[in-house]
Amino acid sequence: MIVVATNVTYLLAAWFLDPRSNYRGLRPVRTEEQIDHALAPYNLDPRAPLADRWWHWFSDVLLHFDWGKSPVGASVNSEIGFRVVVSGQLVTAATLLSVVAGVALSVFTASRQYGWWDRMTQLVSVFLFNVPAAVAALAVVFAGIWLNQHLGWRLLYVAGEKSPDVSGLWPTVADRFQHLVLPTLSLTLLGYVGYHLTQRSLLLDNINSDFVRTARATGLTRAQAIRRHALRASLIPTATSVAFSIPAIFTGAVITETVFGWNGMGQYFVQTIAKNDVHGAVAVAAFGAGMTAIGAILADIAVVVLDPRVRVR
Amino acid sequence: MTVATPGTHPPAESAATAPVLSVRGLSVAFPSEAGPVQAVREVSFDVLPGRTLGIVGESGSGKSATVMGVMGLLPETAQVSGRVLLGGRDLVGLGDRELSAVRGNDIGMVFQDPLSALTPIFSIGRQLSDALRVHQDLTRQAAWNRAVELLDLVGIAEPHRNARAFPHEFSGGMRQRVVIALAMANSPSVIVADEPTTALDVTVQAQILDVLRTAQTETGAGLVLITHDLGVVAGYADDVAVMYAGRIVEQAGANELFGRPTMPYTIGLLGAVPRPEARASGQLVPIGGEPPSLVGLSAGCSFADRCPAAVDRCHSQEPPLTAVPGHGQVACWRAPDIAGGNPAASSLFSPPEAAVEEHRPDRQVPGETVLRVAELARTFPITKGALLKRRVGTLHAVSDVSFALRAGETLGLVGESGSGKTTTLLEIMRLRPPEHGLIEIAGTDVAAPRSTEQTQRLRRTVQIVMQDPMGSLDPRLPVFRLLAEPLQAVGTDRDAVRIRVSELLSLVGLDASLADRFPAALSGGQRQRVAIARALATEPRIVVLDEPVSALDVSIQADVINLLTKLQRELDLAYLIVAHDLAVMRQVSDRIAVMYLGHIVESGDTEDLFTHARHPYTEALLSAIPVPDPQVERSREHIVLKGEQPSASRLPRGCVFADRCPLYPLLDGGTQQRCRTERPLLRPAASGTDHRHACHAR
Repeated sequence: MIVVATNVTYLLAAWFLDPRSNYRGLRPVRTEEQIDHALAPYNLDPRAPLADRWWHWFSDVLLHFDWGKSPVGASVNSEIGFRVVVSGQLVTAATLLSVVAGVALSVFTASRQYGWWDRMTQLVSVFLFNVPAAVAALAVVFAGIWLNQHLGWRLLYVAGEKSPDVSGLWPTVADRFQHLVLPTLSLTLLGYVGYHLTQRSLLLDNINSDFVRTARATGLTRAQAIRRHALRASLIPTATSVAFSIPAIFTGAVITETVFGWNGMGQYFVQTIAKNDVHGAVAVAAFGAGMTAIGAILADIAVVVLDPRVRVR
Repeated sequence: MTVATPGTHPPAESAATAPVLSVRGLSVAFPSEAGPVQAVREVSFDVLPGRTLGIVGESGSGKSATVMGVMGLLPETAQVSGRVLLGGRDLVGLGDRELSAVRGNDIGMVFQDPLSALTPIFSIGRQLSDALRVHQDLTRQAAWNRAVELLDLVGIAEPHRNARAFPHEFSGGMRQRVVIALAMANSPSVIVADEPTTALDVTVQAQILDVLRTAQTETGAGLVLITHDLGVVAGYADDVAVMYAGRIVEQAGANELFGRPTMPYTIGLLGAVPRPEARASGQLVPIGGEPPSLVGLSAGCSFADRCPAAVDRCHSQEPPLTAVPGHGQVACWRAPDIAGGNPAASSLFSPPEAAVEEHRPDRQVPGETVLRVAELARTFPITKGALLKRRVGTLHAVSDVSFALRAGETLGLVGESGSGKTTTLLEIMRLRPPEHGLIEIAGTDVAAPRSTEQTQRLRRTVQIVMQDPMGSLDPRLPVFRLLAEPLQAVGTDRDAVRIRVSELLSLVGLDASLADRFPAALSGGQRQRVAIARALATEPRIVVLDEPVSALDVSIQADVINLLTKLQRELDLAYLIVAHDLAVMRQVSDRIAVMYLGHIVESGDTEDLFTHARHPYTEALLSAIPVPDPQVERSREHIVLKGEQPSASRLPRGCVFADRCPLYPLLDGGTQQRCRTERPLLRPAASGTDHRHACHAR
């Protein structure tokens, strides 16, 4: 499936994206022939038949895992390489925090259905749900700046993924962390809401069910019965949705990445399309497909862990 | 074959021992938009060790709220007052943490619906050992071993292997055994069973009640048995409390209560229950009216509006529960009069006028045959795999079913769940060529090609009434639209629809003012009347009834049964009824067919079948119905069948009942061989009757 999806993307991208336009605006004006000539070493020469270019690209990917070059000659592999690490930090931290915060809140509020806390957190969540990503990111930036000003020194960075002149293990870790906090916070604020609201309603379906009552009748307190019996049964759909949302978060964090000046996958995806970078765009698509596959496997593993009934015996 | 004679009273000295559970003045109220709902009011009772207290009442009478209040499992919004003394300690007002130390340890609980009472994602053994480890300091292994012992005790076969099974691999009866094991795990001093057998088949019910008894003897606990089934109470309770509108209205020993009921409600309730052992001598005696709403109760006795013995005082002042010599405790101003025989208990409730005339006068005059089913068979493929469905087996839901139904006659299909009753009904309702066999409705073979118009005419001839009137009526349509819909579907014009709808309402005894109400605003009995009116709208000749009264309370059930009988007589309808309640069946059916695993194993005239059952399965089924009379119930022999009805995916080659047959082990080798290899055919039990049964041994 991944192979098919990637190849279709290649053909579509090669069809629609015209790398020549990148050169047309240049001064001195170049002839079409010169432009084609300049593109030829990157396997983007429009004069060569599409089939030939495709085969060249495909065999490079297969044999050397070389995903090609951008129209200006930069290697797609190295671009993606460091961006995956950058995005990975952001996405992993934000997803984990969103899930933990969302599920914890859902347990807290579902046990107090229609109580004051339930209504308040729901109000906040619905509000956050409607805040556009850019606004949320900017609000977090302002909050970070305000905090820094009050402290009198720069605790949290509002731009970039690292400082250029840091060396040594611990200073590097601290520096990365200082950069990571704000974008993670802004992604978490937007991400936890879905988990809170869906998990809350899933849990409510289970919280008054007979088996929770049975568990309480055997001597568990209400909180214990909810955690051990109701939550586990209702986590299964959430676990599946988390796993499948990973690829979307990787490439979907464009706005947050842009506001915080992070060179991540989302930003790269937009750039490649804007700059007619056929190979770059295809590589991003292939990456998304790969993540989806991994997500599906993770989802299956999560379901097996949570629900022993599906284990093959 | 197990022959159990339940109901030997414990020796009298146990009455002197201290109660393990004392409830004093327990009240429970739930806030609602209309005001507080007084679910339980001033309830007091004692539970003695080793004895069983039965709490009887209809839905909404506060039985469940009472025990949930005892367990501390009510929702947090409930307001509880009074005292619940367990071993001298008051449980009311304790926090969740303190109560959880009591629950499971001192009080065990068995719930109604075993299918949903167990956590689906944990193995049986895990749930049991968890329950043990909550209260006892056991290692994992020790708890597991104890769990296996408990499973063995409640009669789970191969407990070592089955402890690793998950709830969905178990049948309802087996799951209820597990729930009982959970309740008795920590040897509690009180076991509370809330409708433990309501969701189960009648033959399984007998097994589960035996297990409950085992649990009680094993732990020496006092048992609180909540049920709406007076038969179960008669067989298993030592003392009985009858609840009505949140109060205990009569409390006495089982023999006194059933033998000499004093509170008019109890008298009415006992009169409204169809009795399996009594022949259908006449119509049931309904109480009339509906239980009151529990919001803003009036000052008087809550039963006064339905009570034939009510006097002025009953409407203004609520009677307290007072002792009446020889009768236990009764909450009724007229109790001393009724106890003294004036008015006599038996004359309080009179049967409806229609019953005075000869019951079913046309019984001997069979009409023309309106429905004929011959050699009907229906199978379902069992498939496996998500993407590519492989057929791995065949479920034989109905095999070789034949019967005929005449106008004005009622045929009852009886059997446990999974015996193919409902599939048979649906095959008839489908009006399509059956997979195998023949269905003939009013002389028309459904398999014959026909025009749309003919199909519509055929469709008008057969109508259905479903079990649950809440689910079968669209909640968004008012009664008028519900009744008009089938008429519009057959092309009746507007004015005719209006006339017909009011006709239908009066036919089923509903007030015309109900026409613009929505189903949610109707009571259960009224809803079922609407469902019946809807079925009658197109003037059918055959009405198929799928468990028509099983969702209704006893006092209302009698009303609906009487209505059905009246309608049949007036409209010359043919009824095909499916029900699991044999006592109801005896009341309504002219003929009965007993089904097991998709086969009719015995059929015949109702009275003949009840008095001279030939097939061992029919015998067991009849013996398993609890009789609402402690004398009868405790003295007769019960045939408790082993196991449960097997899956219909692998039918045995011979008799389908051989595996559970109580007769089979007693047979000689040659007959056993026949039972195993040759499927018995229906043959006449005696010459000259249409009583037929399928058994090699009888």
